[in-house]
Amino acid sequence: MSVRGGYFFKILEVDLTSGTSEVRPFDEEFALKYIGGRGFGARILADHLKKKKKIDPLGPDNILIIAPGPLTGIYLPASGKNSFITISPATGIYGDSSIGGVFGVELRQAGYDAVVLKGRAPVLSALSIQDDSVKIVPMPHAAGSTALEGEQLVRAAIGDEDMKIACIGPAGENAVVYSCVNTDWSRNAGRIGIGAVMGSKNLKAVAVRGSKDLPVYDLPGLMEVSHEGYALLKSHEFFKFWQDQGLMSVVDYANKMGILPTRNFQETVYDKADRMNGYMMEDRYKIGDSACFGCSMSCGNVCLVKEGKYRGTVTEGPEYESAAMLGSNLGISNFAYILKANALCDELGVDTISTGSIVGALIEGLERGFLTPEDVDGTEIEWGNEDAILELINKIAFREGVGDTLAGGSRAIIKRWPDMARVINHVKGLEQSAYDARGAISMALGYGTSDIGAHHTRALTVFNELETGNNLDYEDKVNFLIYHQTIRPLFDMLGVCRLPWIELGFPEEYYQRFYKAITGVDLSMDELFERSRHIYDLTRTINVSLGISRKDDYPSQRTFEDPVPSGPTAGKVIDREEYEKILGMYYEKRGWDEDGKPSMSL
Amino acid sequence: MHLTVIPERCSGCKVCELACSVGRENVNNPKKSRMRVMVLYPHPVIRMPIVCKQCGVPKCGEGCPTNAIYRENGVVRLDQEMCISCNQCLTSCPFGAMFLHEDIEHPFKCDLCDGDPLCVKACPKEALKFHPKHILGQAHRLSVARSYAKMSKVEYMDDGQKKTLKYAKITKGGDDER
Repeated sequence: MSVRGGYFFKILEVDLTSGTSEVRPFDEEFALKYIGGRGFGARILADHLKKKKKIDPLGPDNILIIAPGPLTGIYLPASGKNSFITISPATGIYGDSSIGGVFGVELRQAGYDAVVLKGRAPVLSALSIQDDSVKIVPMPHAAGSTALEGEQLVRAAIGDEDMKIACIGPAGENAVVYSCVNTDWSRNAGRIGIGAVMGSKNLKAVAVRGSKDLPVYDLPGLMEVSHEGYALLKSHEFFKFWQDQGLMSVVDYANKMGILPTRNFQETVYDKADRMNGYMMEDRYKIGDSACFGCSMSCGNVCLVKEGKYRGTVTEGPEYESAAMLGSNLGISNFAYILKANALCDELGVDTISTGSIVGALIEGLERGFLTPEDVDGTEIEWGNEDAILELINKIAFREGVGDTLAGGSRAIIKRWPDMARVINHVKGLEQSAYDARGAISMALGYGTSDIGAHHTRALTVFNELETGNNLDYEDKVNFLIYHQTIRPLFDMLGVCRLPWIELGFPEEYYQRFYKAITGVDLSMDELFERSRHIYDLTRTINVSLGISRKDDYPSQRTFEDPVPSGPTAGKVIDREEYEKILGMYYEKRGWDEDGKPSMSL
Repeated sequence: MHLTVIPERCSGCKVCELACSVGRENVNNPKKSRMRVMVLYPHPVIRMPIVCKQCGVPKCGEGCPTNAIYRENGVVRLDQEMCISCNQCLTSCPFGAMFLHEDIEHPFKCDLCDGDPLCVKACPKEALKFHPKHILGQAHRLSVARSYAKMSKVEYMDDGQKKTLKYAKITKGGDDER
C-alpha cells in the first residue's frame, strides 16, 4: 500500500530554548498507521514519554504538538480542523484540543504535517512560520495583552497582514490550567490548558502563512465526492436552520431533554431558557454568520449587544457550551451578559466550560458553607450576580486573590478546600461539559472513561440514550459509546469537523471516500476505525504510564449522589454498582484488564 | 454580466477560493485563487470576498508599461505574452484584486470563467451573485422605495389574518415644506 497524496512527509521541530528548528521526515508506515492530527500527536508524545517517563506539564520538558490532518484544507465540507496535543496541566495526563478556522490550513500550506515545540524561549516570543522560513520573534512588549491584542502585535512585529495567528491571552501567560489558545477571533483550543503550556514555554503566539499546493492524489475523483457531499448537506431539512442558529439551537433541545446545566447542575431544566436560546440570539443579537474553512454550515454566530450596559460587546459566539455554562449554570439568562462573559473569556484566554463550572461550584460551595466569604476575598457572589462573576473571571486570568486557587482548576480547589469535592463536577481534573449525565449511564461512562477528562467531544451519547434508552441494554450502550469514542477521534486524526456528521447526519462513508481520493489508499471504514481504536489504546497507555487506572474512571460525585430534582429526568441518578458493572463491561470490550490497562506498551 | 459581492451574507468559509483554485488552476490551493476572502474582526466586523470588478476604465492597466492589460467583452484580461511581471498592476488596482504566487509567472486575476463563474456556483451563502448589469442597484432602489418613512397604512383582514397595506398617499400641491 503506498501513500500517494495527503502528506508533505515533514514534521517541523522547533527547540524554543536554543531558537533552532529542523525538519524531520516520516515514512509511509507512520502515515498509514497514525493518519494525522491527534494520531500523530499521540505517537510523538508517547515516544517523548518513553525517554522522559515523568513530565512537568508546565516545565520545559513538556512538548506541544500542533497537527492538522491529511484532509485539512482540502475542498470538502468542514476541512478546517487542527489539533493541539500535549501533557495537560489540568489533568497531568494526555490532553488534546482541536480548533476550526483556518490556522491548520495555513500550517499545511506552509508544507508541514505537524509542528513539535520543545523547550522554553528565553523571553516572551512568537514563532513565525512562512513556508520554509521559520523564525522566533521576541515579543516582550506583548506581555499581558489579550489574545486579540496579542494577535495584532504579532502581525505588526512580522509585518504580514495575511498571517494566521494562534495566540494566548494573559491566562495562558499566568498558567491558568484551563487556558486556551485563540485563533480567528473566537476559535479556541480550549479545555485542557494548551494556553498555559504555551505560556510556560514563553510562547505568546504561533503565526503561520503558507503558499503550497495541498497534495491530493485524485483531484477530479475528490471533486465528485465533494460536490455530492456539499449537495447532500445542503439538502438536509435543517441546513438553513443550522446556518441561522448553529450550536445555539442546542439550548432548547438540552432544556427539553432535562440535561441543561442550571445552578451548577443542581437542576437540569432552566425556566428562563427561552431568554438565552437560539431564537433570542437571532432576534436581538446576531449580526452575521461565520464559518470555518471550507464549511457550508456556518455554525459561527457573530453577535453584538446594541443596547444596555454591555452595549458594544461584539463576539463570534457563543456556542451552546459557553451559553449554558456561563448562563443557566450560573443562574443567568441575560444574553447580553453571556456575550460579555464569552468575549471576556476569549480575550483573557480561559476556557468557557471550565470557567463556568468552577464559578458555579464556588457559588454552590458558598451557599453550602464549604467556603466562607473571606475565602473569596470578601466579595458577595450569588447566582445571577453578573458583575461579581465577570470580576471573578478577571481574577482567575490574572491569578488575583481567590483567582489564584481557582486558576489551578478542580484539583487545586479540592486540595485547598476538600469539601468542595462534593460540588465540583470533574473527571481526572477536567471540569464536566454542559450535558448532565444522570439520565444516561452511557454519557456518565463517556465522561468517566474519556482520555482527557469530562469532555463531551469524545462521546456525546446522552441524547441518543434519553430518546431510545429503554430499548438499549448495557451491551448496546457500551458499543454505542465505543463507536462515538472511535469515530469522533477519527475526525481529529483526519483533520475535519465532526459537526456535519453529528448534526446533519452526514454519512461516515464519505470520509473513507475523501481519504481514498486524497491519499490513494483504499481503506474500509472498519480499517479507519481500527486505527482510531489503536490511538485510543495508545492515549490510554500514555495515561496509565502517568498513573491513571480504574480509580480515575468515574464521573462526578453529583452524578452518583444527587437525584435530578425535577423535569424530564426527575429522580434520575447513576447507581454505583450499576456503574461498576458497565465500566467492567467497557474494559472487556476495549480489551483492557480489570484495572483499565491496555496490553500494549508505549 | 456583473459579479456582485454581498458582504452581509459572507461567512468567510473560503469555498469560493477553493472552487477557483481547483477549477482554474487544477490545484487545491486557495492562495492560487483569483479572489481573496477578507475576514476582519472585532473592529470592524466584516467578511468580504475581494474580486475583480472588471472596471470600465481598468486602473490596474494604467501603470502597465507594456499595455498588457486590456478589456474585451466586459472582461479585463492580462496578455501573458506582453506582461513583463513588473507587478505594477498589483498596487495600481484600487481593490487589491490582482494576485501573485511564486509558482505562477505572471500576476493573475478573475476572468469570470468564460461567463459562468465557479465561485458563484460554489458559495454556500449566496454571497456572490452573477447578474446582468441592469440588475445592479435594483435592490437598493427597491429598499429605498419600500422603506419610505412617510407612507400611510391600512390594516385589513385576509383569510382571518390581520395584514397591513402601506402606500404613499397622493397629495394635491402645497407640500413643499418637505
